[in-house]
Amino acid sequence: MTETKVTWQGRGVVKGQAGGPAMVSGSALSFLGDVDIRTGNVVGQSNDLRGRSLAGVALVLPATRGSAGAWRFLYQLKVHGTHPCALVMRELPDASVVQGAFLAEVPIVVITDETFWSSVKDGEALDVDGTAGSVTRS
Amino acid sequence: MRLSDYDKSLINGDEGDTARQAMEALVQLGEAFDAPDMVEVGYAHVHAGMAMYLDDVGLIEDLAVRGAKMKVPVSTNIANADMGNWQETGAPESLAKLQSRAEAAHRAMGSATSFTCTPYWAGHWPTFNMHIASIESGVTVFSNSVLGARANRDGFFAVYAGLTGRYPRFGLHLNENRRPTHHVRVRARARGTADFTALGYAIGRKVQNGIPVLSGLSRRPDLDELDALGVGMATSGGVAMFILPGVTPPWDEDTDIASLKLPDVDIDEDDIDGVYAEFCNGLETGFEFVHLGCPHASFEELKYYAELLKGRRIADGVQCWITTNRTVRQMARDQGLLVPIIAAGAKVISDTCPISCHFARTCSPDPSLGVEPPPIRTILVDSAKQAHYVRDMIQCPTLFTTGERAVESAVTGRFQPRLRPND
Repeated sequence: MTETKVTWQGRGVVKGQAGGPAMVSGSALSFLGDVDIRTGNVVGQSNDLRGRSLAGVALVLPATRGSAGAWRFLYQLKVHGTHPCALVMRELPDASVVQGAFLAEVPIVVITDETFWSSVKDGEALDVDGTAGSVTRS
Repeated sequence: MRLSDYDKSLINGDEGDTARQAMEALVQLGEAFDAPDMVEVGYAHVHAGMAMYLDDVGLIEDLAVRGAKMKVPVSTNIANADMGNWQETGAPESLAKLQSRAEAAHRAMGSATSFTCTPYWAGHWPTFNMHIASIESGVTVFSNSVLGARANRDGFFAVYAGLTGRYPRFGLHLNENRRPTHHVRVRARARGTADFTALGYAIGRKVQNGIPVLSGLSRRPDLDELDALGVGMATSGGVAMFILPGVTPPWDEDTDIASLKLPDVDIDEDDIDGVYAEFCNGLETGFEFVHLGCPHASFEELKYYAELLKGRRIADGVQCWITTNRTVRQMARDQGLLVPIIAAGAKVISDTCPISCHFARTCSPDPSLGVEPPPIRTILVDSAKQAHYVRDMIQCPTLFTTGERAVESAVTGRFQPRLRPND
């Protein structure tokens, strides 16, 4: 059996296209507090990605935890070159994350299709299209 | 999204390239949150441009250089250095100079350069039903809950609201999202701003992103206490609005809250005490820093601190800052209030505060600025908000007490904990 591309259609929240290895989390992430902006490493005590770097990955998250300052930290990750290339979310992130992703040019797609969540694997290549609102396993 | 002719003209670039950029961003935000259209914004409290973050001042300078102009009244949020008085804070000149570039950029765009987390004490006082945008969560909660204006917890996009006078209609701009979610029954007596930050902090922790309607307060809090209450909630939770019957417009104070069948949350003396206790992990003697004025002190609070410090002297080895905004400091100077404060050895600092200045360890200033956070053993504060962020950003131990006892601590060099109301 050959690998075939699978595309899930969702909702584009922040436009743009990016691709990278999936990093899949089961925890809600707070960009303020959970991430060291200089290295992109997850430092939050309660986060299941603790010790891993967000740099260049397609970050697959169930949710973000609210902080009004989240936008600045997402933008700072971009300034330091340690930002995820895209976000794939199960639910709509809060407005501050959307504003930070817009500034950092990190596309966001919200996918509610359960087949995505049951099959997405850490490390597999994902193409995220925030303009079309789709995620493709390539 | 339904866009007006004016909205479309902005997107067409009729009002310039920066207004086009701002409007395109606001449309994307609106589409993300299913906003039906744009509202007219009456005021925006916006990002200062922060010298403690790499390339952050550049975000503001870029707009100014491209000729951006604010379309509505705009005030600027707290910054990373006291731009007129940085020597007194021990900040490197390089940091103050960089911060001043953000000031120049804001002036070019027509912002009022207030550099404060309490712009209302500097005269920026939005009115009932006015749609506003605010980057500062304390301004958001005060505006929604005390003034009856309409604001979300915003980030950088408050600048875009300022540049266009527009904002997508979602969140707290809609009546349906301004209804209470929890009934908070206060069974504790709070007195003074420190207590109200602690009360708010205890409430925010329990209601998270909800909208609490409060009952049980023994009296109407004064303006400083109302400010403190909201700031506490916005710090521990994501509260953007509370409802205090008799204060919050247009809430009908005859409403039978029990009939709304909201989940009950009880707050008693132990909850308030617990917030103080949580932030009392520092050195009871040997603290070297006392901070008063979080959020930035009002004129009334400066009167209060001046009275407490009159004829006193800050203990050897202790530094005491009172933080406020430039406008209040000028009013206080004109009133003669700075004389007893300075005579006592305390400093009145504007534009910044301990957690916003070069003390913070979680920022990422340009290495060429040579910013080195000073070692601090313990900071003693009179605000739950400052305590929370000292822990997270300066990462040193705290002591938390009331304003009066904080001044007493600064003068005696020995921590004076809050007394419970019945002690």
